[in-house]
Amino acid sequence: MSATSMMNRHWPRVLHRFYQLDRVPTLSSIHVHPISTTAKLETKGREGMNTQGPQGWPLYNKQVYPPTEPGEKPRPAFICHMKVNVKYSPLKLWYVACLVRGMQIDEAIRQVEYIKKKGANIVRETLIEARELAVQKHNVEFRSNLWVAESFTGKGIVIKGVRKHARGRIGAVHYRYAHYFVRLEEGSPPDHYYTPKPDGPQMLLDWIKERRELKIEGSY
Amino acid sequence: MLSVLSQRISQWIVPGVQAGFVRSLTNKKSPYQIKAHNKHWNPKFRKLRGLKVIKVDLPNFHENESWKPSEMSGEEIRSKMKEKGIQPVRNWQEKPLELSCTGDIVEPYIPPEGDGKASIISTDFPKQKIIRLEKKSRSMWAARKIRQFDEEFDPYNFATQEATSIYIKMHEAMMTKDEYKIGTYVTEKALLEIMENLDCKTIRWKFMESIEPTRVVHIRVIDVISKDNIFAQITCRLHTKQSLGIYDRFGRLLYGNELTPKDVLEYVVFERHLSNLYGSWRIHGKIIPSWKGVGFEFQPIRTVAVTEQKSL
Repeated sequence: MSATSMMNRHWPRVLHRFYQLDRVPTLSSIHVHPISTTAKLETKGREGMNTQGPQGWPLYNKQVYPPTEPGEKPRPAFICHMKVNVKYSPLKLWYVACLVRGMQIDEAIRQVEYIKKKGANIVRETLIEARELAVQKHNVEFRSNLWVAESFTGKGIVIKGVRKHARGRIGAVHYRYAHYFVRLEEGSPPDHYYTPKPDGPQMLLDWIKERRELKIEGSY
Repeated sequence: MLSVLSQRISQWIVPGVQAGFVRSLTNKKSPYQIKAHNKHWNPKFRKLRGLKVIKVDLPNFHENESWKPSEMSGEEIRSKMKEKGIQPVRNWQEKPLELSCTGDIVEPYIPPEGDGKASIISTDFPKQKIIRLEKKSRSMWAARKIRQFDEEFDPYNFATQEATSIYIKMHEAMMTKDEYKIGTYVTEKALLEIMENLDCKTIRWKFMESIEPTRVVHIRVIDVISKDNIFAQITCRLHTKQSLGIYDRFGRLLYGNELTPKDVLEYVVFERHLSNLYGSWRIHGKIIPSWKGVGFEFQPIRTVAVTEQKSL
């Protein structure tokens, strides 16, 4: 469901939420159906309102969970944030996205500062924004009590250009754009983000277990 | 095998290129840099090589993040729009407008200080005189104005029968978060504030009882644009017992406590569009007295460091 389709839904007697926040209350509140028939110089909307590109990821932030029962464990907060349509190759950005996975937020921001890649800056800015959003909007109490639960890239638009080769030959040049998605979760990061390779003693135990489970077909 | 491996490794070490001294470890620009491996060995034909690639104007989707239209002059905005080929915005709109509520509380009621805090047996109680509505001439004049449109209007009946029930129904609708349903009990101006505050929260509210009967404290009537278009605003004093629990997006308690009911003293403003045949009394806002502090401070529940208890 895109942002524009949400805005055009017919709510007969109600001033649309997206338009009320910038208005100073005047003597009369006016019923106006949302109109954007004329183009305007686009400025940064609320929460970096994005009308082009992926729409689904920030919708996870709108998901409301029912209150936890007295016996249940409290649900950890999570924040989904993204930076879309950045002029960078998604495959190159993937390396930086992978580095950050499973790190504590402050550690991730610190580490990424020392990576000599353009993507590092993109990731760093996104992480800082996400951390701020977490505290301001999603009731995260301590800004350092977050870790990077998910960090991945997506392919943005590709603008195709052209370059000349020898002998009148032409080659394609791809100007790639990338999206970067990150999900921060409240709490301390896990010991292992990926299942670790078993160490020597564990490998031995696994091997012994395997050997003990061997069976001759048809035997009891 | 080893010779093949060493061959492969040696390919990475390009002869004649050395790593320069790297002074700063950050990815910010530094005067000392590792020599680039992506440069042609002969700089003589750089320009011609550059002409091979046909330049393309690449869009920058993040350029408007640094813009601040409030600080930009009209000339700057116009030039930027011209760059993008956007035609200037038309100011007038040909759309019918329906005024169904006013934008603010007219001549807000100023509650007396210490209202509701003194108990009946205290010495302060007789000092806090309850000023009856009949003594307030402007409010009585406004009540008469309302009776022109609604013959059966009586402030006492309105307070005891309608006001409290609208208040309760509004809160019950708020728990459902149904915008249309809330809108039947609340004016558009208040509805926006409510929906903004309800975002990503779960509310559990319970009405226990009325401690004191609801009283009408203040009535005002206002005409908008033309003399015939009249709105009436009634401020009611509600002293009730309620329990409230607000949970955040993840179901964690944010404010209040469902189990402990609290005494709530409120001044609620109801509004009705009198000129409209189908107008109904709806909640328009609340009055927060100046002696209460600067507005309502929403203090969410926070973790407190647990200090070690000293043994006696």
